[in-house]
Amino acid sequence: MKDKFKRGKWKEFLDWAQNRSLSMLHYCTGCGAIELPPTMTSRYDMSRFGIGPAATPRQADLLLVTGYLSTKTLRRLIYTYEQMQEPKFVVGFGSCTINGGMYWDSYNTIKQLDKYLPVEMYIAGCMPRPEAILDGLLKLKDKIETGEAKGYEEYKENIEFYHKNQEEALGEVQRTQ
Amino acid sequence: MKNMNGGITMDKNTQTEIFFGPNHPGVPGNYGIIYDFEGDTVTEAKPNAGHLHRGFEKLMEERIWIKNTALVPRICVEEPDINEMVYAMGYEAIGDLEVPKRADYIRSIILELARIQGHIFSIGGNAAGIGQYTVMQWGTLARDYILDLFEEITGGRVYHIYIRPGGVRQDIEDETFEHILEVMDDLEENRLPDLDKALYENPNAHKRWKGKAVITEEEAIEMGATGPVLRANGKPYDVRKMMPYAAYNEVDFEIPTGENGDAWDRLKIMREEMTQSIKIIRQLINNIPEGPVKLDLGNALKYRIPEGDAYVKIESKRGEYGYYMVSDGGLKPYRVHVRGASNPLGLYGVTEYLPGTRVADVPVWAKSLGICPPEFDR
Amino acid sequence: MRNEKEVIKLIENNLDPLEINKKRKQNLSVSFTPDKTIQSLSFLKSNSYKHLSTISCVDWIDDNEFELVYHLFSYEDYINISVKTRIDRDKATFVTLKEIWPVAEFYERDIHDFFGVEFEGNDNLEELILENWNEIPPMRKDFDTREFVNEEYEWRDYNGQKHTD
Repeated sequence: MKDKFKRGKWKEFLDWAQNRSLSMLHYCTGCGAIELPPTMTSRYDMSRFGIGPAATPRQADLLLVTGYLSTKTLRRLIYTYEQMQEPKFVVGFGSCTINGGMYWDSYNTIKQLDKYLPVEMYIAGCMPRPEAILDGLLKLKDKIETGEAKGYEEYKENIEFYHKNQEEALGEVQRTQ
Repeated sequence: MKNMNGGITMDKNTQTEIFFGPNHPGVPGNYGIIYDFEGDTVTEAKPNAGHLHRGFEKLMEERIWIKNTALVPRICVEEPDINEMVYAMGYEAIGDLEVPKRADYIRSIILELARIQGHIFSIGGNAAGIGQYTVMQWGTLARDYILDLFEEITGGRVYHIYIRPGGVRQDIEDETFEHILEVMDDLEENRLPDLDKALYENPNAHKRWKGKAVITEEEAIEMGATGPVLRANGKPYDVRKMMPYAAYNEVDFEIPTGENGDAWDRLKIMREEMTQSIKIIRQLINNIPEGPVKLDLGNALKYRIPEGDAYVKIESKRGEYGYYMVSDGGLKPYRVHVRGASNPLGLYGVTEYLPGTRVADVPVWAKSLGICPPEFDR
Repeated sequence: MRNEKEVIKLIENNLDPLEINKKRKQNLSVSFTPDKTIQSLSFLKSNSYKHLSTISCVDWIDDNEFELVYHLFSYEDYINISVKTRIDRDKATFVTLKEIWPVAEFYERDIHDFFGVEFEGNDNLEELILENWNEIPPMRKDFDTREFVNEEYEWRDYNGQKHTD
């Protein structure tokens, strides 16, 4: 039986190429999105590392969840995540994705992100500075190059666990084809 | 000769419903509009709000008075200092306190710096909406130098937690005042004239902004819209002159107005208000008095004010921003209600005044009116 | 341009208030009974108080009443007036303001979402900000948000450390 942790030469070449050209979906979900324009423009330039914006989910491979998520946004975000092509990566931004953050006693926000989507990397802060965002994204690039970023495969294998948690918190969720 | 449309006649154009949804570069934030269009013109529209709701008004009732100063800036992300100012003003109005003079001057300097960085960010966002990406890059860079000043004064780039009931948190040194004056000189001599030449003298901007998204004076007063939307019709209504607060009755400034009420007038007013703000900051720094910067209100964990209620308001960069606060004499607020400046525009204005525009002008309508979704979602 | 004393006399001569207060400079507050509120607001609108800032609602659970507050402003006198009225908490209904100010439809829809007050004459009271909400209206004082959160969501396990309220 093929050992799923060992990758062949073709996959190694693909990982080398993919981590140098990531497309980030331009969807500002929460209040952490105000530090994204300084990161993308000329002072703390992000495109020198090969990361650029993409307009639609079918053309993107990095989903940046900036800040807290209300239940209304999470329904739309799951619909967006299931439309992206593989391989795809999710990064949690700010302390609201880790344990609820400043709004821990609110009736409308979710408290832990990795019960609903598989997360590769968290960046702590409220809100993180542009230098901290670049530090986190560079560590994500190293993780992709060595082949450890396999969140999308875990989502497919444990799909009943994720779907059960989503429906418990949100009620009804719309699925895509 | 064959029919040019491939056999489909123009009579079969029916209405289509489209989600100008939350995930779109043309909307100002996480907010959606659902509209029907026929051919090229919008016929019916309604707002799709509530994606950013966190329940602030309930959270503020569970925390003591001093802890809310850390929660409140997160209501409006682009200009967080107005929230701290109105919360402190409401507390002082119910408790009948008067802050020292030096604290009033420092509060006005912080509010004017927040107004300048907010206007540059808005102009950059509007320019990106019509395709001028160079102006967006220049605008974001100029705003970064002002965020460096905030980091020197308060310690944080975006959320400051600096204005609190009774005054401000700590004093500013003379060296920092000189840095502020240097940045103001740099803005006025180099960066704002570049913005004028690249954007305001560009024939593209004239064609895409003149005559679009018109809101007349009667419509604005009937809706309750204030700020650049009302001043673009020729009336100089501004809360800083009508009900003065902080140190605004001791400085000398003008209020720019427009003529036709369209998108071009609103963007021209934003540019000219920046010049007036630089003039205000120079006057405040040259005349600032000496003295303490905060009142001594005792143990911070036991702040208390008598029973009462108050509605206080200030002028933010988008219009009138107000809080209605009720106290029952206890350690926590009894009720706080937030009135955002773009509340009537984002909810009622979309249903009533968006139909009739062309589909390609919907981002221009949404961005030039200054709709900020976290204010009405709370 | 009138000052505060002249406005107080105008209201006392033409309307039937329960109480008038001058709290601070350029700020007045007036209260009426529920059946006289709408015509008083219409009278004030025709006397230059054309700007409606917002409509707020306060839950006085000990008195078993809701209080509705309308904030008006005049561009000629530069004075804020807060018009208050109280309605019953168990059968919470009131008349709509949308015939006089059409923008009040959305403020009333917001109050219906969060407090559960019905407005007669306003037929567009569906959910605006919340979505698929099945409990009691969340801004009432008998809805405990910390208890709701502890029941619905689980906290992260930090090597056995407990989460404290």
